[in-house]
Amino acid sequence: MSGVQEDDDLVFRKICSLIEPLNEKGVKLTRQTDLIADLEVDSVAVLDMVMDIEDFYDISIPVNTISETKTIGDLVDAIHEIKKEQS
Amino acid sequence: MGLFEKFEATATLYATLMSQSSQDPFGVSMDEMKGPTRAMVKGREIVLAGTNNYLGLTYDETAVEAAKTAVEESGTGTTGSRFANGTYNAHRELEQELAEFLGYAHCMVFSTGYQANLGAISALAQPPNDVILIDADCHACIYDGCQLSGAETIRFRHNDPDSLDKRLSRLGPDVKGKLVCFEGMYSMFGDVAPVKELIDVAHRHGAYALLDEAHSFGVFGENGRGVAEREDVLGKVDFYTGTFSKSLASIGGFVASNHKELEYLRFSSRPYMFTASPSPANVAAASAALSRLKADGAIREQLWENAKRVHGAFHQLGFELCAPVSPVIAVKLANKEQAFKAWNFVMENGVYVNLAIPPGTPNATSILRLSVSAAHTSDDLDIVINAYTALSEALGAGAL
Repeated sequence: MSGVQEDDDLVFRKICSLIEPLNEKGVKLTRQTDLIADLEVDSVAVLDMVMDIEDFYDISIPVNTISETKTIGDLVDAIHEIKKEQS
Repeated sequence: MGLFEKFEATATLYATLMSQSSQDPFGVSMDEMKGPTRAMVKGREIVLAGTNNYLGLTYDETAVEAAKTAVEESGTGTTGSRFANGTYNAHRELEQELAEFLGYAHCMVFSTGYQANLGAISALAQPPNDVILIDADCHACIYDGCQLSGAETIRFRHNDPDSLDKRLSRLGPDVKGKLVCFEGMYSMFGDVAPVKELIDVAHRHGAYALLDEAHSFGVFGENGRGVAEREDVLGKVDFYTGTFSKSLASIGGFVASNHKELEYLRFSSRPYMFTASPSPANVAAASAALSRLKADGAIREQLWENAKRVHGAFHQLGFELCAPVSPVIAVKLANKEQAFKAWNFVMENGVYVNLAIPPGTPNATSILRLSVSAAHTSDDLDIVINAYTALSEALGAGAL
């Protein structure tokens, strides 16, 4: 995808750093990585990880939004959207 | 094919754990009940320490008699919903008794505690302008209530008023109604919420506070009115929810409030309107148990004495406990596999407790959850403590 902004990359990296402790199988993390299917992380652990993201960016990510995200890329996009709305 | 693939991962995990297990922790059947704290399971008498029978009133004479009379006089079932033909005088009377006991002006009785939360939350908050804020460790029925409502739902960190404050501060100007949900005592770990602080934060932001006292009603407070009574905030709670299936030894649930608008839920709460009302026997038993709870504070004293004894003994044995003393005593284990083996070990030593493993446990911990009853005799507790002493030795010897 052209024009990946630096900020976009930072959100992606932040998420990766928070997911890494849950990545027991050492799966390579990309925007296409499915949080639950590929990483075998349970849904509650995803919700808890999202709370760290919320506190880091000082945003609130509704449970409704999280249940619509499947991949790391979905989550990155959702965070950008929310950052724009809540700033 | 397509429907079932999603179950495979969990089914495989379950099968793997079961292959190392002589019994199924999630499929125990009480072949014959022997009273509030004993049952026959596969030919052996087991001490029940994984129920929520906090006051031990399931065989209370007055409750049993009241239930029998109700069946004889009003029949076995109501065959209708609260909204249609299923509201009897007894439902209304129980609503009044609960409202009076707790000091609220209004009360609605639901068919289960699960439905009380489901029905209150789903009706109170509506998309797109209402927001629900829930403690991260809230029970499934609160999560399900949020989902059924469809309103935006935001989790705050468990028992953390600052985390709630931050999330309420971030809400935009277009948000209308704000509903904050949390529990008195949490069912898995037995830890208690800072209800006063949470209510203060909620009200400072113009939000309503819904407090679920399912596990703490009858257990906490000088008169058994829950954590809200102990913390002297009963009058500040906007919606007080509870269940009949724990301290009241029956089945059913309720929501109490000083907001007269609670009555609107009678024609807008789907889990109230579209399910059969609690049966006459359930209502009569709950009402009788409530009378016992009000009249006999010694039952609650016995419960706490029993809780202190077990908690103290487990502490002495060196177990990692999840909370200070309360009737729910959770022992933390290293992982799922060890917890599974520990559950079997305790069962083989004549004690039934609850196994709780992720997902669905706080911080992905694996625990043995034990709940104490006022009806546990000294002999019952000896058996429980002996079983855990043996467990502690087996864990220490690396046998599990």
